[in-house]
Amino acid sequence: MSAVEVRGLSRSFDGREILRDVSFTVGHGEVFGYLGPNGAGKTTTIRILLGLLAPGAGEVRVLGRDLASDDDARARVGVLFDNNGLADRMSAADNLAYYAGLYGVEDPAERIDELLALVDLADRRDDPVGTFSTGMKRKLGIARAILHRPEVVFLDEPSSGLDPGAQRMVRDLILELSRREEMTVFLNSHHLDEVQRICSTVAILAGGRIRAFDTVANLTSASGRPAVTVSLADPGDRARACETVGRLPFVAGCDADGGALHCTLADPGATPDLVAALVGANIRIEEVRRSSRSLEEIYLEHVGRAEGGA
Amino acid sequence: MSTLSVIARREIRLALRNRGVLITAFVFAIWFPVMTAVGIAAAAGGDAAAVSGGIAAITLPVGVFMGYIFCSDAFLREKRDGTIETLLCAPVSLQRLWEGKALGVVVPAYLTTLLAAAVSIGAASALAEAPVAADPLLLLHLAAVVPVWIAAAAGLIGAAQLALGMRENQILGFAFIFGFIFLIGGLQAVISGGSGVSATAEAVLMAVGLALLALARFIAGKVTKERIVRTIP
Repeated sequence: MSAVEVRGLSRSFDGREILRDVSFTVGHGEVFGYLGPNGAGKTTTIRILLGLLAPGAGEVRVLGRDLASDDDARARVGVLFDNNGLADRMSAADNLAYYAGLYGVEDPAERIDELLALVDLADRRDDPVGTFSTGMKRKLGIARAILHRPEVVFLDEPSSGLDPGAQRMVRDLILELSRREEMTVFLNSHHLDEVQRICSTVAILAGGRIRAFDTVANLTSASGRPAVTVSLADPGDRARACETVGRLPFVAGCDADGGALHCTLADPGATPDLVAALVGANIRIEEVRRSSRSLEEIYLEHVGRAEGGA
Repeated sequence: MSTLSVIARREIRLALRNRGVLITAFVFAIWFPVMTAVGIAAAAGGDAAAVSGGIAAITLPVGVFMGYIFCSDAFLREKRDGTIETLLCAPVSLQRLWEGKALGVVVPAYLTTLLAAAVSIGAASALAEAPVAADPLLLLHLAAVVPVWIAAAAGLIGAAQLALGMRENQILGFAFIFGFIFLIGGLQAVISGGSGVSATAEAVLMAVGLALLALARFIAGKVTKERIVRTIP
């Protein structure tokens, strides 16, 4: 049984189709990235999974249960929306104590102290949340979401509105939590760098459909043709190197950038032949590395295709 | 501790920390009774029963209005901020969430209504020179009828605020205030009649209050999470 299962999910609002036959699964303990442009239907999917909206068609399950009708199953799930779910007029500790009461957390005082220390807010425990910065609120929101040790936690744009330092802090926190608490993380984001760093699996949603669903490693290595970056010892050899490479039948394309050649290969096993051809032309090579495409490139390609109606 | 009391205690705490709501409630609890006490005293003269009737008549709308004031913090603010969405994901039914919030509204609304009643009794007694505090029907009115009406108001207003969008809630707010002004006009007519508190009137008011409470519960049962989420601004 998967932690999250979505099968043939569709949903429309006011005659406009937001989700069309969406299917994917998330395994236990995975950090799953759900990517898509604004308005793609990411938050709608999360809301349907959490039982806040009904599916138009299809079926969703979290931990094998329907959260819309199952209070006990909801106790095993955590969620962080954009607003953090915190009351500004209450202190950090009181906010956590409230949710501890709702979720029936055992020994709440100890758990609250542990989490406040983890998110580095122990010294602000009695301060009203309204006095906190956006980053501090987000950290407290994450602590609130995992307060009851959920098996699955849904994080909806956890880094939005944060400065780069705070984004990194949130990213590190998510990674630490997934390791320490062994929870499944469902990360809804369009911070592609963040997703590439922390997620094991991703799904790209665009135009209401899933355009790609695979591990990050598979997506970034298997998409498109293999590519190799060759760093030249002498940048002055660039023109000659381009000419040499351009004559090779197994090279599909070559771009030069400073002292480096970016070659796209027609044959994945042709890297040694490429190196031999350059050495044979008396071109000194400093470094050769297989280059993979970034998640951002793959994302933009899928979203671009969806927007182009492909 | 039950989830009902967890939710209610939090709403009471939040109400006590909302300076704007508290100031509005206290100003209303003092200003309105003093103003109406002048009318009550003038109409009743030295008739203590008539003064009791006047005070009983104003405490119901005051209680309902207090319920409205505190609902704006417990239900509407939570929806406007979007934090209601997180609460809806907790292992608590929507009905229980509504009950807890309504209870959290009733407590401060009832306490401020009692303050308004005390100010009314003091002011009217002084102006009419007719002490009314010992009237058992007035005490019954304050102890039983008023809290039931406040609970019904909190339940109905809360359910409406959860179900309606922000624009509809604005219209509801204006309608409520205009309705309240209209009610005051009607009450002044009742007060000037100089009638006292009667057991029959209290029984009818109690029955109506309980019916409204049942209606509130029925309406709240019809509100869905989807309806709430789709009307979050």
